[in-house]
Amino acid sequence: MSTIILIFIIFLGGAILTFLASALKGILKEVLFLASVFVPVVLFFTNISIGQTFSFQAAGFAFQWGITPLSYVFALIVAGLGLMAAIYAVSAMRNKENTGFFYFNYILTIMSMLGILFSRDLVSFFIFWEIMTWSSYLMVVYQGKDVQTVGIKYFIFSAVGAYAMLMAIVVVYSLTGSMMIDSLVQSFPGFSFDMQLLIPILLLIGFGVKSAMMPLHVWAPGAYSHAPMAYSSIFSGALSKMGIYGMVIVMVSLISHIPEGHWFREVIAWLGGITAVMGTLWAIKQDDAKKLLAYSSIGQLGYIIVGVGIGTPLAMMSGLFLAVMHALFKGTLFMVVGAIERQTGTSNLTEVTGLIRKMPWTFLASLFSIIALAGIPPLGGFIGKWMLYESLIVSDHYLLVIVIFFSSTAAFLYCYKFLFGFFLGQEETEWSHVKEAPAMMVVPMLILAVSTFVLGVFPGLILNPINEAMQTLGYANTQGHLWEMSVIFNEWGNQVAMQPIVYTIIGIFLFFLTFLTIKGYKETRYVTTKDISSSGEVPKEHENLTFSMNFMQPFFRAVEPLMRRQIDKYYNGFANGMEALFDFTRRIYTGNGQTYAMYVVIFVVLLLLLKTPFSDN
Amino acid sequence: MVGSPVLLIAIPLLAAFVIPLIGMIWKELVRIIPGLVLAYMLILSATLLYYVSYNGTIVETIAGWQAPWGINLDFSPLTGFLATLMSALGFLVWLFSYRFKRNVDFEPAKKYFIFLMLLIAGAIGIVITGDIFNQFVFIEITGISAYALTAFYTGRNSAEASFKYLMMGAMASSFLLVAIAILYSQLGTLNMADIASKMHTMNPTYKIIALIFFITGIGIEAEIFPLNGWAPDAYTEAPGPVGAAFAGIVVKAGVYAIIRMIFTLFDVPGAYDFLIAIGLITLIVAETSALRQEKLKRMLAYSSIGQMGLVIVAFGIGTHEGVFAALFLMLNHAVIKPLLFFSGSSLVFNSKKKQIAEMNGLGKRMPLMAAFFSLGAFAIVGLPPFAGFWSKLSVLSAAANEGLLLIIVLILIVSVIEIVYYFRVVNRIFFQEYSKEQSVVPHRPRINAMVAMFVLAIAILIIGFYPDAVTGILHNAAKDLMNTDQYINNVLQLGQSLTR
Repeated sequence: MSTIILIFIIFLGGAILTFLASALKGILKEVLFLASVFVPVVLFFTNISIGQTFSFQAAGFAFQWGITPLSYVFALIVAGLGLMAAIYAVSAMRNKENTGFFYFNYILTIMSMLGILFSRDLVSFFIFWEIMTWSSYLMVVYQGKDVQTVGIKYFIFSAVGAYAMLMAIVVVYSLTGSMMIDSLVQSFPGFSFDMQLLIPILLLIGFGVKSAMMPLHVWAPGAYSHAPMAYSSIFSGALSKMGIYGMVIVMVSLISHIPEGHWFREVIAWLGGITAVMGTLWAIKQDDAKKLLAYSSIGQLGYIIVGVGIGTPLAMMSGLFLAVMHALFKGTLFMVVGAIERQTGTSNLTEVTGLIRKMPWTFLASLFSIIALAGIPPLGGFIGKWMLYESLIVSDHYLLVIVIFFSSTAAFLYCYKFLFGFFLGQEETEWSHVKEAPAMMVVPMLILAVSTFVLGVFPGLILNPINEAMQTLGYANTQGHLWEMSVIFNEWGNQVAMQPIVYTIIGIFLFFLTFLTIKGYKETRYVTTKDISSSGEVPKEHENLTFSMNFMQPFFRAVEPLMRRQIDKYYNGFANGMEALFDFTRRIYTGNGQTYAMYVVIFVVLLLLLKTPFSDN
Repeated sequence: MVGSPVLLIAIPLLAAFVIPLIGMIWKELVRIIPGLVLAYMLILSATLLYYVSYNGTIVETIAGWQAPWGINLDFSPLTGFLATLMSALGFLVWLFSYRFKRNVDFEPAKKYFIFLMLLIAGAIGIVITGDIFNQFVFIEITGISAYALTAFYTGRNSAEASFKYLMMGAMASSFLLVAIAILYSQLGTLNMADIASKMHTMNPTYKIIALIFFITGIGIEAEIFPLNGWAPDAYTEAPGPVGAAFAGIVVKAGVYAIIRMIFTLFDVPGAYDFLIAIGLITLIVAETSALRQEKLKRMLAYSSIGQMGLVIVAFGIGTHEGVFAALFLMLNHAVIKPLLFFSGSSLVFNSKKKQIAEMNGLGKRMPLMAAFFSLGAFAIVGLPPFAGFWSKLSVLSAAANEGLLLIIVLILIVSVIEIVYYFRVVNRIFFQEYSKEQSVVPHRPRINAMVAMFVLAIAILIIGFYPDAVTGILHNAAKDLMNTDQYINNVLQLGQSLTR
C-alpha cells in the first residue's frame, strides 16, 4: 500500500479511535491523539518524496495525490506547527469537557490541510478544503460562545468562498474535461478572455476568505478568538496559509498568462496592503489579547498577500518566507495567550499585569515572537519584511511601500501593548498566586520561539525549499544572487548579513551583562515595584501606578476617519435585509387552502397564456 | 427469479386488506406483517434490479392482454431502481415506526400500517406501470392514503392540513383526468409506449394543453411551486416517519411521473427549459422560506421541497449527466431526508409545539440522535465527505457542461442559505445551553428506531466515501430514461411477439 494513502488512513482511523477513547478515563486518549498526529507526520517526513504520486478513480473522476516542492513548503508549516500545537493541546485541554470532540476535529484539520497540499486534482482539493472548513467551524463553536453570530458568520463566508471555488472547478471541468490542476495550468492560456478572468476571480474569492483578505476578512476576528487557543494556533498559523497556498498557484500559474494581466496583481497587492493597515489598526484598539492577535493575524496575512500579489521573485520569496514566519510566531503567541488564560482565567490585557516573574518562560517565548512579529533583527520577521520592502521599491510600488511601512510601524504599538499588558507593569496581588504553565505547554512555545531565531539567523534553511518551489513554478534560481544561507543581497549590490548582526547584538548583550554584573554587584538592592516615590508621595499598597487602559488615545484620534467605516456593518445590513426578504417569501405560504387553490389556477392559466416555453419546437 | 414485478404491487395491496383480519387473531401481527411484506418486497425488487441490469427490461403483461390494449408493467433499470429505493425506505419507515408511540394501541396502529402499505403500493405502482390510466389510479391510491396518514394525529391542525392536501389532490386528479381524456381522444390509446410512438401525429395545441394539465396535476404531488401549498402543513402535522415517507417515497413517485411525461411521452423540447425554470423557482422559494421557520418539521418540509426543485432542475438539463445527477440527488435525498425526519422527530418527541427554539442543548442529553441529525444536516447541504456532496458536484458539473453558469450561481447561493438554516439548528443542539424551562424533555428512542437511523447513517457514509457503490446503477437508470425508442420497442415488441 502506498504511504500516501496510509497517512490518511492513520489520520482518519486515529481521529475516530481518539474520539471513541475519549469516553474512557486516563491517559489513553491523549496517547492516541498524539500518536495519530505524530505517526503520519513522521511518515510524511521519512517516506514521502517529492514527485511520488498515488492515483485512483472514484465517481467518474480521476484522483491524484502527490507532493510538489511548493506544497512541501506549506506541509512543513502544517506538520511542524501541527505537532507543536498538538503537544500543547494535550496539556491545555486536560480536564476540559468534550476533549474527544476537540481531538477529533484537530486531527481532521491536520489531515485535511495535508490533504489539500497533497491534492493534484481539483475534486480532492475541494473535498479536503471542505473538511478543513467544517472541522475548523466545529472548533470555532466548540466553546459555545456566540455560536449563532460568530460561528455562522465564519461558515457563511467559508461556504461562499468554497462555492465560488466549486463553481470555478466545474467550469474548468467543462472546459478541459479534466480535474487535474496541471491540466488547468496547461490549458489556461487557451481559454477565452472571459474565462481567464472568471476562473481566477472565483478561485481568489475562495482563497481570499481563508487568508482573511479584505473585504472577506470579517469572520476572522471572531473565529480566531472564539476557538480554543490550542486550536487558534494552527487556525491562524497554518489554516490561513492554505488560502495563501492556493493564491500562490493562482497568481503564478494562472494570472501570469492573462494578456495585460498585471493590473490584476496590483489589485490583489493593494487589497493585501489595505488588509495589512486595517488589521493592524484594529489590533491596536483591542483590549482582549485574543482579539488583538486575531486582528494582528489579518494584518500579517496582508503582508503575505502583498508579497504574493506583486509576484516578482523577491516579493514571492518574501511572501512565502513571511508565511512560514507568521506560522511560527503567531502560533506561539496564541499559545502564550492560551497559557495565560489557563493560569489566570482571563485574556484581557487591562486586567492581567506583571506576569514576567510568575511566568518567565512564557514571557521569553512571547518576547521572541513579538520581536519576530515586529520585524526587528535578528529574528525571522526582519528578513521577510526587508525583502518585502526591497521588492516593492524595486518594482516601483512606492505608495504601497508607504502603506506597508505605516502598518508595520503601527504594529509596534500593539506589540508593545501585548508585552506590557501581560508581563510588565506593576505586580498586583490579585495575580500573586499565578504559576508558570505546565512544561508540556511551555516547551512547544519555546521550540517555536527559538526556531524564529534560528530562521532569522540562517534564513537559507527555509529559503532553500522556497527557492526550489519557486523554480518549479517557473522562477529563475535565486540562490547566490538574492540570498545565501545567512545573507540577503539586494539589487544595489549591498547585502544584509545576518550573522554579523547577531554577533554584534550578542556582543552588546554580553558587554552589558558583564559590565552590570561587575559594576553593580555590590550596589544591588532588591526592591518591590512600590518602592518608589513620586513628587515626595509614597504610593500606598493598593494604589495602581501602571495603566493599560485606553492606550494610544491620540493615535486613534488621528486615524479615526480610517476606522469609522466598518465593512462588517454593511454585511450585517445585507444579511438583515435578506432575512426580511426571506420572511416575505415565507408568507407566500399563507396556510390558507383557498390561496393555494388560487395558486394552482393561476399557474394553469399563466401556462396556457404563455405557451411560449413549450412551443419553441 | 424470486417473483415477478406484479408482486411488488399486489402483495402490499393484499397485505393492506389482510392486516385488519389478521389483527383479530393476534394484535401484534398488525405490526409484524407489514415488516415481513416490505422485507420481501425489498429482496424481490433488489433481485429483479440485479437481473434487469444484466438482461434488459422486464415487461409484464397483466391478464394476457397485449401491450397496446392491456396494462403492462415495465421494470427497467430506472423504474427498478426507484422501486427498490421505495421498498427499502418503506422497510426503514416500518422499522422506525414499529411502536412509534408507546401509547399507540391496536386501533391506530392498524390504520397506520394499512395506509402505509397502500401508500407504498401506490407509489411503486406509479413508477412501474406502463399504462397512463393505471398510473392515474395509483396516484389516487397514493394520494388517499397520504391524506389519511396526514390526519393520523386526529387533532384540529392535522385535520386542517389533511383537508388542504385533499383539496389540492382533488384538483390534481381533475387536471390529470382531463389530460388523459385529451390524449385518449386524440390518439386512441392509453398505453404509455404507444402514446410515445404516436405522439408526433398529435395536434400541437392539444399536445401542449395536455402537457400543461399533466404537469399541473402531477406537479401537485411532486411539490412544484406554486402547487405545493399543501406540503409544509402536511409534513408538519403528519407523524415524523410519515414525513420521511412523503419525502422519500411519494414525492419521488410524482417526480418520476413528470419526467416520464416529458422525457418519453411528449416530444416538446421547450419543456426542458420549463423544467429548469420551474425547478429553480421552487428551489429558491422553498429554501428562502425555510430560513425563517420556527418549527423543525416545517423547516424540513421546505428543505424537501427545495431538494425536489433541484432534482427537477437537474432533469431539465436534459443530458445524460443531468439525468444521472438528478437520480443521484433523488437517491441521496431519499437516504438523508428520512434520517433528518427520524432523528428530528425523536429530538422534539416530547414537545407540544415542536419548535426549533426548544432544541437548545439536546446534544448532551441525546447525543446519538443529535449526531444523526447533524450527520444528516452535513450531508444534505453537500459537505464532503458525505453523500450529498457527490450529487451536488454532479449537478453542477452537468450544468457547467451545458454552459448554464447562471444556474450554477443560483444553486450555490441557495446552498449557502441552506447551510445557514441547518447549521443554526445544529448549533442550537450542540453548542447552546440546555435549559429546564425551555428545552424539550429528552426522549430515548426505541432500539428499532435506532437501528433504522443507523442504517441510513451508514448508507450516507458509504455513498460519501465510496460513491462508486451506486453510480453504476444510476448510470444504467439514466441511460434507460434517455432511450425513448428502446422503451417503446420493449413494450410494443413484446405485444407483437405474443400475437404471432
